[in-house]
Amino acid sequence: MNESVRMIVVLAVIAMLSGGLLAGVYEWTSGIIAENELREMQSSVFQVLPGTVRIELLDTAPSTLVEDDPTTMREVEQTTTQIFVGYDDRDDVTGFAFVGEGAGYGGAIRILVGVDDNSGAILGLAVLSHSETPGLGSKIEEASFRNQFVGKTLDDPIAVGKDINALTGATVSSRAVTEAVRRGFADAAAAYERSR
Amino acid sequence: MGIVKEFVKGLWNDNPTFRLQIGLCPTLAVTSSALNGVGMGAATTFVLMCSSILISALRNVIPSKVRIPCFIVVIATFSTVVDLVMNALLPDLHRVLGIFIPLIVVNCILMGRAEAFASKRPVFDAAIDGLGMGIGFTWALTLIGTVRELLGAGSLFGYKLVSDTAATFGIFSVAPGAFITVGFLLAAMNMISTRLRKTSKEA
Repeated sequence: MNESVRMIVVLAVIAMLSGGLLAGVYEWTSGIIAENELREMQSSVFQVLPGTVRIELLDTAPSTLVEDDPTTMREVEQTTTQIFVGYDDRDDVTGFAFVGEGAGYGGAIRILVGVDDNSGAILGLAVLSHSETPGLGSKIEEASFRNQFVGKTLDDPIAVGKDINALTGATVSSRAVTEAVRRGFADAAAAYERSR
Repeated sequence: MGIVKEFVKGLWNDNPTFRLQIGLCPTLAVTSSALNGVGMGAATTFVLMCSSILISALRNVIPSKVRIPCFIVVIATFSTVVDLVMNALLPDLHRVLGIFIPLIVVNCILMGRAEAFASKRPVFDAAIDGLGMGIGFTWALTLIGTVRELLGAGSLFGYKLVSDTAATFGIFSVAPGAFITVGFLLAAMNMISTRLRKTSKEA
């Protein structure tokens, strides 16, 4: 009896101390983590929208930005999750950048695409996160692949085998990025137009 | 049992990866590059040392029937602390190692050292044991990562050594290459150990 009480007390005390420590560490780090993510996103937008010095998150979300469909219990596809508007040092609009997501070989691939305000052409593409095979699918990060999208507009097919060359040995990864660009592009552009 | 001996055994004679052959799951998974090996090793060393110290300090308080849950709570706490702190202070490394850090909890090295060593020995010995085992794990991971990165990607610690178009042994970047590399390194370790034993006998 005495022993079982001791067991419960010791385990409970250890769990409580652990909970307290974790709460403290979380409190300390959560702000820094959020800041890091914001800074990272900003630098990515600056990279795909040259000349941009300030960004703003677009409020108007595209109509496809629905999380769950309660009637079917199925997740509705998200074509784009975030859209940013970029401004240059004279506070003129440089263009917009959208976050797209595609199903890669090892999980979701998140990309950021910058689109020029005047021409409506893609200025740059950055890979935000992926878990593709190192040495094969991870080559989606390389400039030679990413630059294929530069200059594309809504009128282009943006499809693997048409105007985009897939990476050798990484067809799934290449296709995922291409799909993410094509599907996000139209919705993001529409949402951007509505906001003007 | 000298302190030096406790420390050195983790480096060679009781090396967790090449000798005890425990904790191979993260070993195979993260070592696609040398830097990953260093990062995972450092994170594991930190958790191992902290948990060894705490478990050793509490060894007379924890009733033996609930020792396993207590060990797990302690190890899980330190793993989460490493996860959060690394995410905040070293976001680049965290992006690479992110999914492996929570797996430190289930790394057998930690449970193994807690059960076999830390729960029976004084705090200082446990700390030295944890440090030695951690460094042994780190160098093993770094070595495997170096071999795999050189062969699989033609680079070392991220620096490209061959041109972008040069063909590399892509298999070394993925899981089968990890098994092959570990197999050959184990064979080499055994060979060296056998030689050393022979020479010490002859001397």
